Amino acid sequence: MSLWRLEWLRLVRTPRCIALAGVFLFFGLVEPVATKYEADLVGRLAKGAPALPPPTAAAGLGSYVSEIAIVGLVVVVAVTAAAFGFDTRRGLATFLRTRVSSMWQLVAPRFAVNAAAAVFAYLLGTCGAWYETAVLIGPLPAGAVMAGVGCGAMYLVFAVALTGFAASLVRSVIGTVGVALALLLFLPIAGLYHGISNWLPSALINAPVDLANGTAHLSHFGPALSVTAALTAAVLAVSVARLGRREA
Amino acid sequence: MNAVVRTRGLTKSYGDVGLFDVDLLVPAGCIYGLVGMNGAGKTTLLSLLSGMRRPDRGTISLGVTRREVAVCPDVSEFDGWLSAFEVVDLARTLVAPRASDEAALSALATVGLAESADRRVGGFSRGMTQRLGLACALVGEPELIIMDEPTSALDPAGRAEMLSAVISMRGSRTVVFSSHILADVQRVADQVGILRDGRLLYQGGTQELIDTYLTPSWLLRIGGDAASVAAAMSCQSWASKVAPAGPDLLRVDATSIEAGERGIPAVVAACGARQVSCEPVDADLESAFLALTAAGRSADGRGAIGPTAAGPLAARVDATP
Repeated sequence: MSLWRLEWLRLVRTPRCIALAGVFLFFGLVEPVATKYEADLVGRLAKGAPALPPPTAAAGLGSYVSEIAIVGLVVVVAVTAAAFGFDTRRGLATFLRTRVSSMWQLVAPRFAVNAAAAVFAYLLGTCGAWYETAVLIGPLPAGAVMAGVGCGAMYLVFAVALTGFAASLVRSVIGTVGVALALLLFLPIAGLYHGISNWLPSALINAPVDLANGTAHLSHFGPALSVTAALTAAVLAVSVARLGRREA
Repeated sequence: MNAVVRTRGLTKSYGDVGLFDVDLLVPAGCIYGLVGMNGAGKTTLLSLLSGMRRPDRGTISLGVTRREVAVCPDVSEFDGWLSAFEVVDLARTLVAPRASDEAALSALATVGLAESADRRVGGFSRGMTQRLGLACALVGEPELIIMDEPTSALDPAGRAEMLSAVISMRGSRTVVFSSHILADVQRVADQVGILRDGRLLYQGGTQELIDTYLTPSWLLRIGGDAASVAAAMSCQSWASKVAPAGPDLLRVDATSIEAGERGIPAVVAACGARQVSCEPVDADLESAFLALTAAGRSADGRGAIGPTAAGPLAARVDATP
């Protein structure tokens, strides 16, 4: 038994694993279908409305990306916040804190396992979306999609690290979720300022779609990838420091 | 004296409450009971010793490494989807990684949870969870165990089991435990520290506290004229108080045990009465605690330890090991 196995068991012995995989897979399988038949649905419901253009493969993937950028992100943040919520119960906090020599021993497994789970769920959902899109709408460029998925995965890893940082600010799990989502939502808003949007982690969210439809090249996301990696390391370091100084 | 725990001027302030200038001394191998009313600062002190909080002032010196210190909180909590074995084995991995898996099973057996090793902790009763916490502490073979209210919220059987477990550790390791149940402390602790309003009023031997702070008393049953015996007894210089306690029954308080043991029979004989029985009133820690805290309050408005508040006991805190 180890702290790493503890986090693995936390995922598989509780509904967390199912929730993560389920949400991403659900949208991966459903959204391309909705995109495929969106024009028909609109036509039937709003007679006389202008006909929508036929869906593209990139749009099929894009509808999935749009949903998991919100719902999927909330689930990732919630699962991670619960893992980082060891200080919400004093007895549990005492059990863990008095037996580790550094806070990194507690933070590292929580970050790594939850980041891996989030990325796996994202990949699972993307595979579902890719399959549905290919079958119903049309093929997607493999290289572009995989590169885009890599960017999206980096964003999720950052979201997990940011949730750990939020846990160092507030003790409660709900508070952690709120702070983390607020910080993540702040990024796209900050990106409205010209010049910095390409550098923010939020620029990575739509990378699979932009790369799939050819509106951007992978090098376009280089700045965002670099900043996201650096920010991930930075917030992890700050989390370790803050959690280490917290008094139970 | 070899001290496992020594604090100097330990202070943790939360405004008017907290811990103030505590000089704690815990000898090696003893069972040290920390007593005080709710809000006296027991949990704060133990949190400081365990490293869960940082002091505002003062120092803490441990005669053992941090890995040799095990902490049992007042309410043990674990992730409910883990089995008892997994919880204890996790503790073993963190504090004694070189110990085998058998150490976890052995610790569970010590606390009577061997048969529940594979059960999920979420289904445990409060008493079982407390015992699991003790198993987690024992698995690392600690030199010092810090226990916060280990018997709180346990039923009488659970309390007895927990206290027996604490007693069994005497001599092999040092135990510091807090409790507001003075009977528990009197039963197991050979050293006691009394906190009031965040200050250490007394620190030393449990029996010494009882002997020093309790007035020797006897219940004297007289065959004959109890009133005349009471009047004669009251005139004695060694008799601090004589009061009726029932028909033909007197309670006699003396200035010392010896004075009472010599004087009572002599007065009864001089009065020509019959001494049917003379039984000492049992001294207990609770009475001594109340007497000490009352003395502390009357001598010093803040109840702080000092030459007048604790009297000669203030000098009984050993300065050097």
